[in-house]
Amino acid sequence: MEIKVEKQNTVVTVFLKGRLDTLAAQEVSKQLESLTEDASGTIVMDCTDMSYISSSGLRIFLTLRKAAAEKGGKVIIRSISNDIRSVFMMTGFLNLFEIQ
Amino acid sequence: MKFNRKDNKLLGMSARAGLMLVIVAAITLEATSIIQYLYSQKEIKKEASLRAESELKSAENKIMDVVNQAEAAVRNSLWVAEWCLENPDSLMRIPQRVVSDNPVVVGSTMALVPGYSTNYPLCAPYATRDMATGNIRMLSLATEEYDYPSSEWFTKPIELDDGYWSEPYFDENGGDILMTTFSMPVKDKSGKIAAVLTADISLDWLTEYIGDIKVYPNAFNMVISRTGQIMACPVETLVMQTTVDQFALESEDYEALNRVNQAMLSGQSGEMPVRYQGQTNHVYFAPVERTGWSLSIVLPEKELYSGVRRIGMIVKLLQLLGLAMLIVILRVVAKNQVKYQHMNEQKERMENELHIASEIQMAMIPKTFPPFPERKDLDLAASIIPAKEVGGDLYDFFIRDEKLFFCIGDVSGKGIPASLVMAVTRSLFRAMSAHEDSPAKIVSSMNNSMSETNESSMFVTFFCGVLDLSAGQLRYCNAGHNPPMILTDAIRMLPVEANLPLGILKGMNYIEQATPFRYDDALFLYTDGLSEAENASQEQFGEARIEKALHGRKHSADHLENIKQQVSLFVGDAPQSDDLTMLFIHYLPKEETLQQERHLVLHNDIQQIPQLADFVETIAHEKHLSQSLAMGINLALEEAVSNVILYAYPKETDGLVDVEAILRKDSLEFIIVDSGVPFDPTVAPDVDITLSAEERSIGGLGIHLVRELMDSVSYERKDEKNYLRMVKNI
Repeated sequence: MEIKVEKQNTVVTVFLKGRLDTLAAQEVSKQLESLTEDASGTIVMDCTDMSYISSSGLRIFLTLRKAAAEKGGKVIIRSISNDIRSVFMMTGFLNLFEIQ
Repeated sequence: MKFNRKDNKLLGMSARAGLMLVIVAAITLEATSIIQYLYSQKEIKKEASLRAESELKSAENKIMDVVNQAEAAVRNSLWVAEWCLENPDSLMRIPQRVVSDNPVVVGSTMALVPGYSTNYPLCAPYATRDMATGNIRMLSLATEEYDYPSSEWFTKPIELDDGYWSEPYFDENGGDILMTTFSMPVKDKSGKIAAVLTADISLDWLTEYIGDIKVYPNAFNMVISRTGQIMACPVETLVMQTTVDQFALESEDYEALNRVNQAMLSGQSGEMPVRYQGQTNHVYFAPVERTGWSLSIVLPEKELYSGVRRIGMIVKLLQLLGLAMLIVILRVVAKNQVKYQHMNEQKERMENELHIASEIQMAMIPKTFPPFPERKDLDLAASIIPAKEVGGDLYDFFIRDEKLFFCIGDVSGKGIPASLVMAVTRSLFRAMSAHEDSPAKIVSSMNNSMSETNESSMFVTFFCGVLDLSAGQLRYCNAGHNPPMILTDAIRMLPVEANLPLGILKGMNYIEQATPFRYDDALFLYTDGLSEAENASQEQFGEARIEKALHGRKHSADHLENIKQQVSLFVGDAPQSDDLTMLFIHYLPKEETLQQERHLVLHNDIQQIPQLADFVETIAHEKHLSQSLAMGINLALEEAVSNVILYAYPKETDGLVDVEAILRKDSLEFIIVDSGVPFDPTVAPDVDITLSAEERSIGGLGIHLVRELMDSVSYERKDEKNYLRMVKNI
């Protein structure tokens, strides 16, 4: 899993590339820790190149969502594949996020 | 060069042995002929002695006959003569009577001892037969010129008081006739010798008779008188001119001749060798009784042995001829031996090369069986039994892109040329099928390539097939090969286009054919070495027997073994006349009732998670699953497995997670086994996905996803292990 974080004013864009499985989630969650602490802005999760997500990945999304909600920010999920979309649907996450 | 030296050595050895043989043969032959010659000589000499003796005897008899007649003529007249003494006037009648009464007697006289008769102091009336007329003439020997009382014929009998044969002499009166005289004393009544009565006989007949005796062509006979005078011999000039003593003095071998003469003159009989005029002669001699004569036969030794010499020469010639032939034969044999040796060496070398060629050839074709042990959908076996060391049959197969490419072929001819063509054919098959899936195109390319370079005009009957293992379809192209047997519900010949064998016609359009190939279908390919295998009565094994042998499904290797046995039984002791090659392909794709299993064992380490993705990927590929389905299964498995990895075992302890997948036609079952703490995820309360983000708890998503993604999920604790069973219909 490759992860890239871009900050533009109050918008932080996170580019996720590859498989976000249980192992990758551990790494990703560490890298995004700071983001969780300062989630007052807009966080865009770019999933264009993300091919897979497990529950631990979903958990990162949910943690971010919760943190943002506390700090007055918001999380936007950008361009997910149909397969991932179906996972989101199964877990009710489609309703929890703004998906672009 | 190496062989030339060897040749010479070999030739040298043979030559020496041959020379020895010739020498031994020559010695043996020579010894035999010498022995034979000596023996013959001895026999011939014995024979010659016998003949000479018998001739001498018969000559003696002949002479004695005449001598006896003459003696008898005289003796028989003695009494008349005695009587006449008293009547001297009648004296002349006595010789007259002796001559007239005895044809052998040519002359006779009755000579009175001088002074016996007072009337006739000398009286010797002589009767002689005229040779021309046969009349008897009377003469008187009592003349002044002829002093008869001192003649040998008159004195000797008186001296001896017995009959006496005179020395031979030439008659001076009656022509040149060789004569001899027998004379006897005539006594009067008082016993006093009164006269001598004689009978002359001619010896002309003797010369003739002696000359006629021919024991051998150049042998001659002689008669000598008691003084050694030659009386009869082939050289007429010697007769009565020479004595044997004189003759001996003039000859080169005086001693021997003298010895003979002495023996003859002393009345002995026998044989003696004498050298005369450079030649050895054998003289056989015997005395003639009463006369003191000696008869002899002279045999030149050269003549005696001329027969045996001639035979000896012929034998020697034949021996030389034989030896010459022996030498010729030995030379031929020696040469042949060298040639034979060469041939043997060549044969050995060739056999060795054939053996190597055979090994190379066998190394080319796949012969590890089963060839694809990991494949459950294909049971394949092949066999090749070459008739000679190297054969012209081939088979080959390989799998590319889930397709089985296979072929069988039979090169015309046998031996090394056939095996080379076979090797080329096999290489071409591999080359052409590396990137081409169509059997017809593969065969066409091979044909074009082989026709172009076919200088030896050899061709190959060939069958090429491509079995699509995933689609269950067989495409094939036949190039003049005998059709394979296809085993479906029944056994039949695969319908094939004959086409032309490879290597005959460039640009030939080969027709491709296809047939569906389903579960449990099989294909049996073979060369005519099987169908045309002959038994001792020249009956062929034939297609009917092949078909019969193929009944019932067996393991491919067992099928081939069975056919080999059947052929072996059928053929018996008859020699294998052709290569026998077989290929059996049994198709057993995945089937409803058949389940396949896959296993994955992981440690309780989150680092191992990516392995799971690969595991699922493989199964998805095998089962041709869609990407979404594969991802769903991957996700469900990951949730279940990561749950075990993270929570089943106490921290820092090593534990295993066993993932077992059972692949069925329409479903996949996964069983996740661990020996960690008992945990039943199925009883965990499901998450409420309708809650808002703020209300949602962070956990419970994993098992929720498993429930969502799988069609059934069940848990079981057994043997201190957790069994989580998940099934996904596909």
